[in-house]
Amino acid sequence: MFFFTYLRRELRRRMRQAVVTALGLAVGIGLVITVTALSSGARTAQGKVLGALFGVGTDITVTTATAPAPGGMAQITPEPYVQHSDTLSSPTQGTMSASAVAAIARLRDVSAAAGGLLLTEIKTTIPADNAPPPTGFQPPVQVSVTGVDPGHGALGPLAAARLASGRAFTASQPDAHVAVADAAYAAAHGLRAGSAVTIAGARFTVTGIVRQAAGSNAPQLYIPLARAQALSGLDGKVNTVYVQAASAADVAAVTGEISRLLPSATVTNSASLANSVTGSLKTTAQLASSLGTWLAVLALLASVAVASLLTVAAVGRRVREFGTLKALGWRSGRITAQVMGETLAMGIAGAAAGVALGLGGAAAAAAVAPKLTATVQTSNTGQGGFGGGLSAGGGIFHGTVGGPVQAFANPNATHTVAVPFTAPVTVGAIVVAVTLAIAAALIAGAAGGWRISQLRPAQALARVA
Amino acid sequence: MYELSNVTKNYQKGRRTIAALRGVSLVIGDGEWLAVQGRTGHGKSTLLQVLGTLDRPSTGTVSFAGRDLAQLREAHVTRLRAESIGFIFQAFNLVPTLSAAENVESALIPLGARPAQRRRRVTAALESVGLADRARHLPSELSGGQQQRVAIARALVKEPRVLLADEPTGNLDEDTRDEITALLEKLWRDLGLTLVLVTHDSAVARRAQRVAIMHKGRLSIRHDTRRAAQ
Ligand SMILES: Nc1ncnc2c1ncn2[C@@H]1O[C@H](COP(=O)(O)OP(=O)(O)O)[C@@H](O)[C@H]1O
Ligand SMILES: [Mg+2]
Repeated sequence: MFFFTYLRRELRRRMRQAVVTALGLAVGIGLVITVTALSSGARTAQGKVLGALFGVGTDITVTTATAPAPGGMAQITPEPYVQHSDTLSSPTQGTMSASAVAAIARLRDVSAAAGGLLLTEIKTTIPADNAPPPTGFQPPVQVSVTGVDPGHGALGPLAAARLASGRAFTASQPDAHVAVADAAYAAAHGLRAGSAVTIAGARFTVTGIVRQAAGSNAPQLYIPLARAQALSGLDGKVNTVYVQAASAADVAAVTGEISRLLPSATVTNSASLANSVTGSLKTTAQLASSLGTWLAVLALLASVAVASLLTVAAVGRRVREFGTLKALGWRSGRITAQVMGETLAMGIAGAAAGVALGLGGAAAAAAVAPKLTATVQTSNTGQGGFGGGLSAGGGIFHGTVGGPVQAFANPNATHTVAVPFTAPVTVGAIVVAVTLAIAAALIAGAAGGWRISQLRPAQALARVA
Repeated sequence: MYELSNVTKNYQKGRRTIAALRGVSLVIGDGEWLAVQGRTGHGKSTLLQVLGTLDRPSTGTVSFAGRDLAQLREAHVTRLRAESIGFIFQAFNLVPTLSAAENVESALIPLGARPAQRRRRVTAALESVGLADRARHLPSELSGGQQQRVAIARALVKEPRVLLADEPTGNLDEDTRDEITALLEKLWRDLGLTLVLVTHDSAVARRAQRVAIMHKGRLSIRHDTRRAAQ
């Protein structure tokens, strides 16, 4: 077809201009793709961190700042010289009546609420008075044990867990002596589905092994809430309430309602958690969304401007050619279509190069970027902070156990999560970028077309004489 | 073919008005060969542009084949130009990226002919100017005379009624000038064209039936072989 022959020839003749135009567009498109990938990567990473810290599906956690309940059952082995103690307690978090769970569940815009009891089992061996002094200090053994409500599998500490083997709790066994073990703990202690484990002197059968997101500070064992309450002597009590709002838009409102309902409780939602996140992750997310977006928009505008100017200039240089075509009876529209075809071809080449640049840029950024870290400041006492899995690990050793345990206390109770950074390029981003490139090319072509319509054929020929 | 009465053309250059044509009245018969001479800047090209419907006069009327061009809309005029009027320029004005054959073909594009038919007509046109063997050459690979032959083939491939030539030999050496002039004369005779040829060159003008002189935008007939022949 003549259109394509002419198009091809012109592109080849004006190769340098075509390459410059296409490259200009490619840089703009590449930046858009890279920045989109970076910010979506940062968003994903942030989501992962928040999910890890907070639990998928949980919008709000409620904990209380009242005094911790160090109580719990002591299993003292009555041996003549050595005493073994095995207690299960809530050393760092205050407790609430389980009726608070029901009250929260009744609030407007709350779709579900589940209670949890985050406990610590501490096994100590106390030497007898007349025993020879121990050769070395023997630290007490600690296991984090969490009581979960089997009736609310989708909410609470197990919601985000991936079942590695066996099965999770079922609602039909609210009171059974069954336990679910974290994969890392199970591996360290040779547990598998069917194994037996003793918690505070009671025997449990492990029914399943779960894996939690990296950095989530997961509890080591999960048991039904009722059993946790019984073993810790915290009957009818919970220390964390997991709340799911009817929709994401309701989270703020529900947070307020719960605060009014339970004035002494600490109510944390993912927004307030996100605000307390610091570290490279936050900087990256901010950089990608603010500076990156501006950069991409600027580059795109610049490339559109460059393409348009180059096209208009090229039309200016081809006045005689187009004047001749007009003299041959070509309509302005046909000449404009020819120029549009040229810029469109440059746009498509630019889009292809831009997608390659964008993919390369995103891959390079992901390869160069170190693991992003997010640091969450938990409150110093470990109790009024947001509940979730955090206090079970970080804040656990605080002063309630007494004695040598104190030495382990986490002094500043921050929790740092490292997340590998990815910059995923989505098909959607590519489609948007290619559309932008083609739109830019058409804008440039339209600018050229406007210039052509300004030409009088006679004017074009006047330059010849 | 043409009937011009009191045609003026003014160009606005900044605040100055340049009167390129100052009342030209002229009748050009069907199949006539009119040569237009005159010094540079006296309105020859402007006259050719008005005849070629590339520009409209400021005042006065131009009728082509009995139709007042002022009455026609731009699209109609473009169509008329595509079908009936061929141009030849001093600088050849070939599209540099297109081969000789493609340059000739470009004149058939607005006519919407089928590709096979276009190719046949292009081959015939190149043959008629003696360049059948140069069809695939680019303009840069052709001599000036050959380029002007391609331009002539491009002007004639659509079988126009009128051929307008603006100093077609101005860029050529003497031998080539004579070749091109002879070719134009032969085509004019064979095809029954109306030929309006602007030239500086009296040797070329002498071959025409009539010679007009443009002076300061006014036209006067100097020589008329038709009357002499009668
Ligand atoms: N597009 C234009 N704008 C302004 N002035 C023009 C334009 N075209 C021609 N002229 C002026 O009109 C006069 C006639 O020009 P032209 O017809 O090209 O003369 P010729 O072909 O005889 O050399 C000249 O003075 C020229 O400068
Ligand atoms: Mg001239």
